[in-house]
Amino acid sequence: MSKNDFKRTKPKTLIPTLREKHRYISFQVISEEPISYSSLEYAIWNQFLDTFGEVGVAKMGMWLIKNIYDSEKQIAVIRCNNKSVHQIVGGLGLINRLGDTRVIFKILKISGTIRGLRKVVSIAGQKISKISIP
Amino acid sequence: MEKIILIMNYFDLHVHSAFSGGQSSLEELASTAKMLGYKGICFAEYYENENQLKKLENEIRKTSEKIGIKILLGFEARSVKELRFLAEIRKKFDVLLVRGGDLKLNREAVETPEVDILTHPEYERLDSGLDHIMAKLAAKNDVAIEVNFRQIALSSKATRSKILSNIQNNIKLAKKFNAPIILCSGAISHFELKDPYIMASFATIFGLELKEAKNAISTVPEKIIKKIEERKNEKWIMPGVKIVKK
Repeated sequence: MSKNDFKRTKPKTLIPTLREKHRYISFQVISEEPISYSSLEYAIWNQFLDTFGEVGVAKMGMWLIKNIYDSEKQIAVIRCNNKSVHQIVGGLGLINRLGDTRVIFKILKISGTIRGLRKVVSIAGQKISKISIP
Repeated sequence: MEKIILIMNYFDLHVHSAFSGGQSSLEELASTAKMLGYKGICFAEYYENENQLKKLENEIRKTSEKIGIKILLGFEARSVKELRFLAEIRKKFDVLLVRGGDLKLNREAVETPEVDILTHPEYERLDSGLDHIMAKLAAKNDVAIEVNFRQIALSSKATRSKILSNIQNNIKLAKKFNAPIILCSGAISHFELKDPYIMASFATIFGLELKEAKNAISTVPEKIIKKIEERKNEKWIMPGVKIVKK
């Protein structure tokens, strides 16, 4: 064990075969009035917990990525594992309203990497590869 | 190696406009459907008289030309009497839908070859509204069993779970007897139209393979449209009978 291992605050990055395989789903929210990221996040979590339950959502590895939310075009990205893409996409169809605003979800692209979404997602002209993702 | 991209044409054959108790105009619905990637939609209306039919045809033609999307005119029968009447004037419009829910009407619908779609057979029922005999008849007469997305999206908790369970039973029966399954939004407002990919993905949750789900939203409606075109041909007499030579 090296000295540096004691200083670590995060665990070591897993080797590729042990990592979870991710999919990034980009979608656009079409609404009557502009919607905020927080209301979108709230509606998605509520709907998914209602429909699939806590255990179901835990298995999906779902994460709505805040840094890539385009508030102008209302384009957002959800990360999940490769086995639950259809559940996530289907679940989005069950959301009819965000608060009092009626909404439609349009799926733009599903990719295995964030870089693959660069054609559909950009924030204020910034390249997606330069946006920091925690 | 060249990439082969299979582009499917998606259709939504059950949409209600302001003419039949809906909240949105034909134009709003058609433009939203086009934006979501549909090639065509069908407005399901309730038959009143000949004048209404002509008025609807005109409106639909105008909207179709303006928006650039295929629009079909369908009538939804709400009773056995209405169904029999609509079957008689079948050549005058495109799609014949039957509003499911009543067991007698469900049975009549699957027994009538003129019917294209039996909408939500489990509507307002505790059971699924279909049995194995009806599923066999639907397969024989080529009547598509609809999975209606609206009643799933607008319900919640116990009601939604009951609806999903009934739909699951219907899908199981339809698959067993090779009856066609069709996915429709059943929208009454343009905000209730759903992305075709979302509909197909949701269908995979309750028992359809992704390929089957995509077929339910593209191949099955395409077959119905092909049948409509055949029916409108002068040589067509009845299902399975047409003039080959004069």
